[in-house]
Amino acid sequence: MLVPITVLLPVTAAVWIAAFGPGRRAAAVVSIAVTVATCMGCAVLAAVATFAPPSSIELTELVPPIGLVLRVDALGALFGLTVSLLYVPATLHAVGWLGNGPRRCAFLAVFLFCLGAMLLVAYAANLVTLLVGYELFSLVSVLLIIHRRTRRAFRAGFKYLVYVIPGGALALVGTVIVFFVADSVVFTPGGLTAMGQDDATLRLAWACLMFGFGVKAALFPLHGWVPDAHPAAPPPFSAILSGVMVATGVFAIVRVLYEIFGPVRLEALAVMPWLAVPAAIGVVVAGLLAVGEDELKRRLAYSTISQVGYATLAISLLEPGALTGALVHLANHAFIKGGLFFAVGAVAVHAGVHRVSELRGMGRRMPVTATLMTLLALALIGLPPLSGFIGKWLLVSGALQAGSGSALVVLLIGSVLAALYLWPVMRETWTPPPKPAPERCERRDGMLLAALLTGALVVLFGLGAALTGFPLALAGRAARLLAGGD
Amino acid sequence: MGAELFDLRPALAPLVSAVCAGLVMLVGYRPGWRAALAIAAAVLKFGIVWSMLPGALAGTVYAISFGEILPGLALAFRVDALGLFFALVSSTLWVAATVYALAYMRGHPGQQRFFGFFSLCVSTTVGIAFAENLLTLFVFYELLTVCTYPLLMHDGGLKARRAGRRYLVYTLTGGALILAGMLMIWHLAGTLSLADTGILGGIDDPVALATIFVLLAVGFGVKAAIMPLHAWLPAAMVAPVPVSALLHAVAVVKAGAFGLLRLIYNVFGVDLMRELGYADVLGAIAAATIVLASVIALRQHKLKALLAWSTISQLSYIVLAACLLTPAAALAAIIHLANQAFAKITLFFAAGAIERGTGATRIDELDGIGYRLPMVMVAFTIASLSFIGVPLLAGFITKWYLSLGALEAGAGFYVWVMAVSTLLNAAYWLPILYRAWFRRPGRYGTTARPVSLLMRVPTLICALYVVILGIGAEAPAMPFALAESAVRFAFGMLGVAP
Amino acid sequence: MNGPDLLPLVFMLPLVVAALLPALALKRPELSWALALTAALVTAGVAAVLTATLGESLALRYPVGGWAAPLGIELVFDRLSAITIVFSGVTALALVFSRTLAGGLGPRPALFHALVLVNLGGLNGFAVAGDLFNLFVFMELLSVSAYALVAAGRGSGSALAALKYLLPGAVSSLLVLFSIGVVFALTGSLNMADVAERLGPAGAPAATALAVALFASGFMIKAALFPLHFWLPDAHSAAPGPVSALLSALVVKVGVIGLIRGQLLFGEAAAPALSQVLMLLGAVAIVAGAVAATVQSELKRLLAYSTVSNVGYIALGLGLATTASVAGSLVHVGYHGVTKAGVFLAAAALIERTGLHDIEDLRGLGHRMPWSAAAISAGMVALAGVPPSAAFVGKWQIALGALEAQQPVLIAVILGGALLALGYGIRVINALFFRSPTHARVVAAREAPPSTVLPLVVLVGLALSAGLTGALMIDFVGPVATAIVGAIAETPGGR
Repeated sequence: MLVPITVLLPVTAAVWIAAFGPGRRAAAVVSIAVTVATCMGCAVLAAVATFAPPSSIELTELVPPIGLVLRVDALGALFGLTVSLLYVPATLHAVGWLGNGPRRCAFLAVFLFCLGAMLLVAYAANLVTLLVGYELFSLVSVLLIIHRRTRRAFRAGFKYLVYVIPGGALALVGTVIVFFVADSVVFTPGGLTAMGQDDATLRLAWACLMFGFGVKAALFPLHGWVPDAHPAAPPPFSAILSGVMVATGVFAIVRVLYEIFGPVRLEALAVMPWLAVPAAIGVVVAGLLAVGEDELKRRLAYSTISQVGYATLAISLLEPGALTGALVHLANHAFIKGGLFFAVGAVAVHAGVHRVSELRGMGRRMPVTATLMTLLALALIGLPPLSGFIGKWLLVSGALQAGSGSALVVLLIGSVLAALYLWPVMRETWTPPPKPAPERCERRDGMLLAALLTGALVVLFGLGAALTGFPLALAGRAARLLAGGD
Repeated sequence: MGAELFDLRPALAPLVSAVCAGLVMLVGYRPGWRAALAIAAAVLKFGIVWSMLPGALAGTVYAISFGEILPGLALAFRVDALGLFFALVSSTLWVAATVYALAYMRGHPGQQRFFGFFSLCVSTTVGIAFAENLLTLFVFYELLTVCTYPLLMHDGGLKARRAGRRYLVYTLTGGALILAGMLMIWHLAGTLSLADTGILGGIDDPVALATIFVLLAVGFGVKAAIMPLHAWLPAAMVAPVPVSALLHAVAVVKAGAFGLLRLIYNVFGVDLMRELGYADVLGAIAAATIVLASVIALRQHKLKALLAWSTISQLSYIVLAACLLTPAAALAAIIHLANQAFAKITLFFAAGAIERGTGATRIDELDGIGYRLPMVMVAFTIASLSFIGVPLLAGFITKWYLSLGALEAGAGFYVWVMAVSTLLNAAYWLPILYRAWFRRPGRYGTTARPVSLLMRVPTLICALYVVILGIGAEAPAMPFALAESAVRFAFGMLGVAP
Repeated sequence: MNGPDLLPLVFMLPLVVAALLPALALKRPELSWALALTAALVTAGVAAVLTATLGESLALRYPVGGWAAPLGIELVFDRLSAITIVFSGVTALALVFSRTLAGGLGPRPALFHALVLVNLGGLNGFAVAGDLFNLFVFMELLSVSAYALVAAGRGSGSALAALKYLLPGAVSSLLVLFSIGVVFALTGSLNMADVAERLGPAGAPAATALAVALFASGFMIKAALFPLHFWLPDAHSAAPGPVSALLSALVVKVGVIGLIRGQLLFGEAAAPALSQVLMLLGAVAIVAGAVAATVQSELKRLLAYSTVSNVGYIALGLGLATTASVAGSLVHVGYHGVTKAGVFLAAAALIERTGLHDIEDLRGLGHRMPWSAAAISAGMVALAGVPPSAAFVGKWQIALGALEAQQPVLIAVILGGALLALGYGIRVINALFFRSPTHARVVAAREAPPSTVLPLVVLVGLALSAGLTGALMIDFVGPVATAIVGAIAETPGGR
C-alpha cells in the first residue's frame, strides 16, 4: 500500500498546486513537505527491500492482460530512494530560485509531477508500467526545460523533443515486440523465460529498446540534447536532469538487459558490444568536449554524459561486480552532480557568472558556495573518502572481475579527463581576483541550503559507505538479484 | 453467440429520438421547448442504450423485427456486442453534443429545422448500429446521409452548397455501390444477415466475391474517408461546429468504419478474408491514408481543416486494424471507435469555443489562447496528446493493440507505420499546444467574448472521458469488456481476452 | 350481393355519377365535388372488397348479362386489377386536392368533376376488361377524358397541349384497333383468354407478329416509353395541377397495363422480340428520362421526365422476363402511381399558390409553405427509391432480375437512374429550402389550406413507408408475374 501512495503523493500535490495556485509561502511549504514525505516513504521501502523479497500490487489493468503493476525490489528501491532524496535539496533550491517569480506554481507542479513519474519508473514491475512512467516524465520535462521562455530555452526544448519523441516511439515498438514474442513483459530476474527462437526479432527489439532508453541515458550518439538542455533549464531542474533523469535512462536499460533479456540470452545474441562501444566513446568524447567548454553548465553537462557513460559501459559488461559498481556510481553521481548544479546555479544568480573564465575570485565572493563546489568537484574526480571514490573503486574492480581491459582503460582515461576539466574550475575559484576586490554576494537562501545539504550527503555517503549500507548494500543486493540469484 | 431475446428496446432507441425530432420540427419554435425536446431525445436514447449493457455483457442479444420490405428481407434490429458498442459511443457523445449545440447555435436562424434533423441523425446512427441485416443497415445508412444534408447546408452560402453537393455525390454514389453489392450478395447467398461470422462462405465464385468486396469496401469507404474517397470531408467542414464535431468526426465517418467492420467480420468473416487476401490490399491503402493524411494535415493553416485531415488519418487506423484480421488488432479497431470519437469531438468542441470566444479560426491566430480559455485548452491538450499516444490516455491503448495485432498478423511493417504516424501527429499537435500556452496572446487572444459554460463543460467532460478510457480499461461499466466480447465472437473464441 | 357481382360497379359507378353530375349540380360546385368524391371513395371501397374476395383464387369472373365466355362479354378481376384500388384512391385524393382550385378549373366545375370520374371509370374498366373490344372502349373513354382534362387548364397553351396529346393518342388508339382487328381475323374471338389459347395453333406467324407490333407500339405511346414519350412533357406543363397528377400517376399506367395484357395475350409469339425491345427501350428510357429531368428548369416538366424514367424501369422489368423483375415492375406500377401523384399534387400546390412554374423562381418557398415543400422534398426522395420508400421495392426486384437474367450491366443503369433521380430531387430541395427567394410572389406566398395539404401528406407518407409492405405486395403479384413469365416462355394458353 505504501508504494502507490509514495508514487501518487507528489502527483496529487502537483495537481493541487496547478489547480489552486497557492501563494509563495504555501506552495513552498507544500512542495518541501511532500518531497520530504516522499523521501521518507522511499526510505522505508528501501529498508523493506533490503530484507524482504519484493511483492507487487496492481493499480489497474491498462492493456489487458498487462496492468500497471508496482513492485519494490532492491534495484527499484535504490533508484527510488536516490531520486527522492535528491529531490529534497532540489526543491529547496527551486523554492529559493523561483522566489516570487512568474509561473512558479506551474514550475513546482510539473517538478513534483516528474518526481511521481520517475518513482513510477523506479517501482515498475513490468516493462509497460516503466514505459508509461518514462513517457510521462519525458514529455512533461520539456515544460521545465523551456520554463524560462528564452529563445535558447525553446530551442533546447525543441531539440529535446526531437530526440525524445522518436525515442519514446522506438521504446514502445520494442516493448510491443517483446510482448509479442514472450507473451509477458514482467521483470523477471535472469530474463523472461520464453522469448521465441527468432534471433533477428530479438535483436530488433533490443535495438529499439536501447535506442529508446538510450536517448534519455545520454548514450552516444543520442546525447545531443543534453548539452543544450542543461544550461537552458532552470538550475533546480538541471540538477535533476543531470542527477537522476539521465540515470533513469540507464535504470531502464538495466531493467531491460537483466530482467527482460537476461545475461545468458544477451551473450547468445552477442549484442552487447553495440552498447559498450558507444558508451565508451561517449565517456571519452564527452570528457574531451568538457575540457574545451567554457560555459560552466555545458561543461557539467558534458561531464554528466561522460560519467553516466562509465555506468553504461560497466553495465554492458554483464558482470555482477561491475553492475554493483555502476549502480553505486550512479547513485553517488546523482548527489555530486546535483550539488554541483546547485552551487553553479547560485553562482549564476547571485554573481552573474556563467563561464569558467569568469570564476576568478569566486572563493572570496561566495566562500561557502565555492567550498562546496570544490568539495563536490573533488568527489567527482574520485578523491577518497568522498562518495565518488567508492563508485570509481567498484567500477574498476568490476572491470577487472569482468576481465575487460579495455573498459579499465576507458575508465582511467575518463578519470583523467575529469580531473582535467574540473581542475580549472577549482583553480579559478580560488585564484584571488584582480583589484579592486569584488564584494561578497553570497546569500543565505534555499539555494545555499540545497548545496550544503547535498554536500553533506556526499561526505556522509563517502564516509559511511561501509557502515550504513546505502547505497552500497542495496546496490549489491540489487546486482545479485538481477543476476538471477539471491 | 448468447441467447437471443426479443426486446422492444432496440427499436425504441431510434424511435424515441425520431419522435422527439418530429416534435421539435412541429412545435419547437419556442427555444425552451426545443431545448427540452432535444435533450430529452438524447438522454432517453442514452438511457435506453445503456440499459442494454448489462445484458449484453452477460451474453444476451436483443432482437426485434418488423415489416418485410422484400420477401425474405425484413427490417430488423439485433443488438450484439459490436453494435451495442457503437451505439454506446454515439449516444453518449450525443448528449454532450446536444448540450453544446444548444449553446453554440443560440441566436442562429433555423434552429427548429436544425435540432429536428440533429435528433433524427442520432436515430439513424443507432439504427445503423443495431441493424440485423445489410438491408436495414443500408436503409439507415442512406437515411443518415439524407438527415445530415440539411445540417451541413445550414449556414447557406455558396461554399456550403458546393460542399453539400460534393458530400451528396460521394455518399450517394457510395450508397449505390453498397446497394449493388447487396444485390449480388442476396442473389448469391440468399441472405443479408449480419448475425453470423460470415455469410459468403459457401460461394465458389472468386470474381463475384471480389466484385462484392470492392463494391462494399468502396461504398462504405466513402463515408470512412479512405483515400482517395475522402474529398468530401475537408469540404464538409463548412458546416457549423456541432455538426462537424458530431457528424463528420463521429457519426457519419464512424458509420462508414462500422460498415467496414461489419463487412469484414460479419459478411465475409475472418476465415474467408484470410483465404481471399483482399484485406491485405485494403490494409495497405488504409496505411497509406494514415500517413498521407497526416502529412497533408501538417500543411494546414486553418484549425478545422487540420482536424478534418486528422480525422481521415485516424479513421484509417480502424480500417487498418480491421484488415489485420487478428484478435488484438480487432480489439484496437473496435476501441478506436470510442477513443478517436471522444478525442476528436473534444477537439472540435474546443475549436468551436475558440471561434466563439475569440473569432480565431487559423492556427497562427491561436497564440496565447491557453490563458484566455484555459478549460477549453486543457481539454484540447488532453485530446491532442491522446492522438500522439501519450500513455494513460486513450490513444495509447489503441496504438498498443494495433502494434500487437500487426505483429500477430506477421505484418510488422505496420508497427513502423504506427511509429511514423505518432511522429507526424506530434509534429502537428505540439506546435498548436506551444502556441496556445507559450506565446504571448496576439490580437485574437485578447478579444473578450464570453463562451458559455454549456460549451466548455461538455468539452472538458469528453476530455475527461479520454483519460478514463486511457486508464480504466477494465472498469466494469466501460465498454472495453464489450469490445472484447465482440472480438471473441468475431473470431470464434471463448473465454479469455486476446 | 355476391363478390363477383360487384365487379361492374367498379367502372359503372363513376360513369353513371359522371353522367348525372352536370344534370344535378352544374351550378353548385360544392355538391358536385361532394358527389364526385363520394363516388370515387365508394369505388375504391368496392375495389378493396373485390380484392379481398379474390383471396387465393386467381381471378373473379363476371359474365355480362349472364352470357358465358367466349361468346359473351366477360369482366375479369385478377390480381393485376387490384390496381383499381390505387386508381380510385388517388383519384379521390386528387379530388380532395382540387376543392380549392375550383376557380382554376373553368366556369363549370361540375364538368371537371364529371371528366375526372369518366377518367376513373375508363381506368377501372380497362383494368377489368375481359375482352379486347371492351379494352379498347375503355381505353378510348379514358383517353378522351384525359384530352379534355388537359384542355381544361388555364392559359392559352392548354388547348394546344391537348391537341399535341390528342394526336399521338389517336394514332396509338388506331394502332391498337388495327391490332385487335388482326387478332380477330386470326382467331375469330375477342375474348382475351380465348384468344390467348387460339393464337398459337392459328399459325400465320407474320400476321401474329404484325399484331404484336401494332399492339405494343400503340401501348408504348400510351405509356410514354422512350422514344414515344414526346407528348408527355407538354401535356403536363399545360394541364392543371391535379390533372398532371392523374396523368402521370394513372393514365400512363394504362399503357403499361396494356403491354402486360399484351404479353399475357400473345404469349410466346411476343417473345423474345417484345421482351428485348422492352428491355432495351426501358434501359434507355431510364437514363434518358433522368438526364432530361436533370436539365429541366420547369418543375412540372422535370416531373414529367421523371415519369418517363420510371416507365422505363417498369418496361425494363417486363423485358427482363424473370419472375423477380416482373413482380418488381408490377408493384412499381402501383407504388409509382402513389408516389408520383403525391409529388405532382405537391408541385401543383406550390405552383398554384405562387403562379410560378420555374424551379429557380420557386427558391426559398420552403419557408413559406413548409408542409407542401416538405411533402415534395420527401416525395422526391421517395421517388428515387431510398428505402424504405415504396419505389425501392420495385427497383430492387428489377435489379435482382437483372442479375438473374445475367445482365449485370443493367444494374449500373438502374442505380445510375436512381442516383440521377436523387440528383434532380436534391436540386428541387435545395432551391426550396436552401436558397433565398428571388421572386416577390414567393415572399408573399402562404401555405395552402388543409384540404389541399392533406392529400399530399397522405400520399407522400404512403410513398415513404409503403416499402414496409413490400414483401406482401411482391407475394401478392407473384402469381401474375409467374403467369407472365410462363406465358412468354412456353406455348400460349398459360394464363
